[in-house]
Amino acid sequence: MHGLHLFFAALASLLSLQSLFNVAWATLLGIVVGSLPGLTATMGVALLTTLTYTFPAEQAVLVLICMYVGAIYGGSRSAILLNIPGTPANAATSLDGYPLAQAGRAGYAMGIATSSSAIGTTIGILFLAVSAPLLSEIALDFGSFEFFWLALFGVVISGHLTAADAPLKGYIAGILGLLVAMVGMEGIHAHIRFAFGLSQLSGGIGLIPAMVGAFGFAEVLTVMYRRRANLVSSKVDRVVPSLADLWRYKITALRSGIIGTFIGVIPGVGEDIGAWASYAAAKRASKEPESFGKGSIDGLTAAETGNSAVVPGALIPALTLAVPGSAPAAVLIAALFIHGVRPGPMIMIEQPTFVYQIVAMLFFAMLAITGYGLLLTRPLLTVLRIPRERLMPIVFVLCVIGPYAITQRLFDVWVMLFFGVVGFALRQMRYPMAPLVLGIILGDLLDKNLRRGLTLSNGDLTPFFTRPISLFFCAMIVLTILLSVGAVRERAAGLGRLMWSFARR
Amino acid sequence: MPDRRMARADLVTGAILFVLAVAMLYGSWTMDRLAVRHINPVSAPGLTPGLLALALLVASILLIMQAVRAGGLSAGADSARDTASPGGVRRLATALILCLIYPLVLIGRMPFWLATALFVFGFVAVFEWEGGGGGASRARRLAVAAAIGIVTGAAVAYTFSHFFLVRLP
Repeated sequence: MHGLHLFFAALASLLSLQSLFNVAWATLLGIVVGSLPGLTATMGVALLTTLTYTFPAEQAVLVLICMYVGAIYGGSRSAILLNIPGTPANAATSLDGYPLAQAGRAGYAMGIATSSSAIGTTIGILFLAVSAPLLSEIALDFGSFEFFWLALFGVVISGHLTAADAPLKGYIAGILGLLVAMVGMEGIHAHIRFAFGLSQLSGGIGLIPAMVGAFGFAEVLTVMYRRRANLVSSKVDRVVPSLADLWRYKITALRSGIIGTFIGVIPGVGEDIGAWASYAAAKRASKEPESFGKGSIDGLTAAETGNSAVVPGALIPALTLAVPGSAPAAVLIAALFIHGVRPGPMIMIEQPTFVYQIVAMLFFAMLAITGYGLLLTRPLLTVLRIPRERLMPIVFVLCVIGPYAITQRLFDVWVMLFFGVVGFALRQMRYPMAPLVLGIILGDLLDKNLRRGLTLSNGDLTPFFTRPISLFFCAMIVLTILLSVGAVRERAAGLGRLMWSFARR
Repeated sequence: MPDRRMARADLVTGAILFVLAVAMLYGSWTMDRLAVRHINPVSAPGLTPGLLALALLVASILLIMQAVRAGGLSAGADSARDTASPGGVRRLATALILCLIYPLVLIGRMPFWLATALFVFGFVAVFEWEGGGGGASRARRLAVAAAIGIVTGAAVAYTFSHFFLVRLP
């Protein structure tokens, strides 16, 4: 009841003209950013972090949350109409959305995507409101040993799941991110590492310039590299889905919402995996699995509910453990620190109302995407007609001025350029970016807690393996790495099939 | 990217990562252990980077082994071009050069708004010039590029200097 009271208080505090105005423009901008192929949610949140650093903390976070929710939803537009997902999160959406558009049902597909996104966000919000305070309480039992394993687990699981066909590349991306975090002054003895005499490097490499480079500049290069996409149709049929249709797919929506939220909780995995996992589960459970990929409403519902539910899900570990559930959540953590909010186990003690404020912000963002999605579908189509040659230079200008604006030093622009070029090259070689980013953000946590833990135990490694939570994370890491070895995975799958056949007898 | 070219790229990347890992390992090993400050040796600043460099070393060796097994060593003769994006490499190179010229050459040598306007105009003009069409069509596209450039330059410069109080470079 106390939580509900705090939620309503947070809702009331956001019912100001300024907040509603910020919700309106930030969500709309998020939808536009998400719907333009090449502009991702991470890039949108990172760029907007640089533009809102002068805002009061509450308004800045509200703007960033609306951008995040709007962009993940907005990606469905181009997935349905161009067969190119606006953000990686909408890749599964295009499988059934595009065939529907080809069949002249683009409006209906966008309506289903809108309602599914709203349902997914709502399910995720409920989990966030209920589980964040509980997880925060559990997190209070975390010591250095547990935080070390948690940071390592985040990078390993993110590397494994975001590069499922080549987990080694995911792990390498994660290790590179962790090594980037080792540059600059370390947090225990204030010793400067790997600065090579450059004073600019002694403060470390900023997350925002690195992310704007890896997700902004690299995206600009990717968009210019690939072939131009064409709109399948400029005509839109009925947009608002019937209640009967929504009711027919209630189980898919509920299942996908839950799967998406749980995928969101896993560090650094993100919306795309949430959508794919929900899509796969819906296909397995469907009575018409053969219709998937050919314009299945069930599939579209699963993909859009799944990716939207990841957003609140990803904020659960971000707020309670300061470990991001997705790449945009990593930027949000950086933004929270900029605005003086310290996410982590102490958040429910230091700022008990903040989690509910985030819940209220997500609620407003969900209402906004529903409104825009159902009312502004036709005007929003014009955004997809903007030629990339005219849009990309403007995006790049923001990539340059954004990181510069925070610290007002050109060094951060060089960092952005470096990460953009390297990020583009790594993407072409199928290295995922999420573990790299997660590594940068978790590097400090891992480093400090490893050395602090060893100091506490006077060099004894036993507590790293004997404390229950530590043991759990350690086992999960070993299992994840073992499962990325082909032979082990095949044997585990064979064992699973054998056990399943025994269970069915 | 085709598999054989990917194997080749993995081999080169593996070698680069191997060198990077060895360099990081050396840097971590020789890093000041702050003995004069009598710190606990297990909290030495080089410990974590050293362990990470070791992990990168192992991962780079595994990557090289995978690449060799996938035919990375014999991929030299494979010159098959990626046909997924015709003209993509040229567009990429042009975009990259233009994007590097803006912060490395233009910014700092002229007012920010002018540097931005020139970059946006140049970018739009170069890519839209390829679109073909007659002289009148190209002149119109150049005019549009100039308008986009001037509006972007003025809007970005004004917003950041007046609203965000940023001293522009």
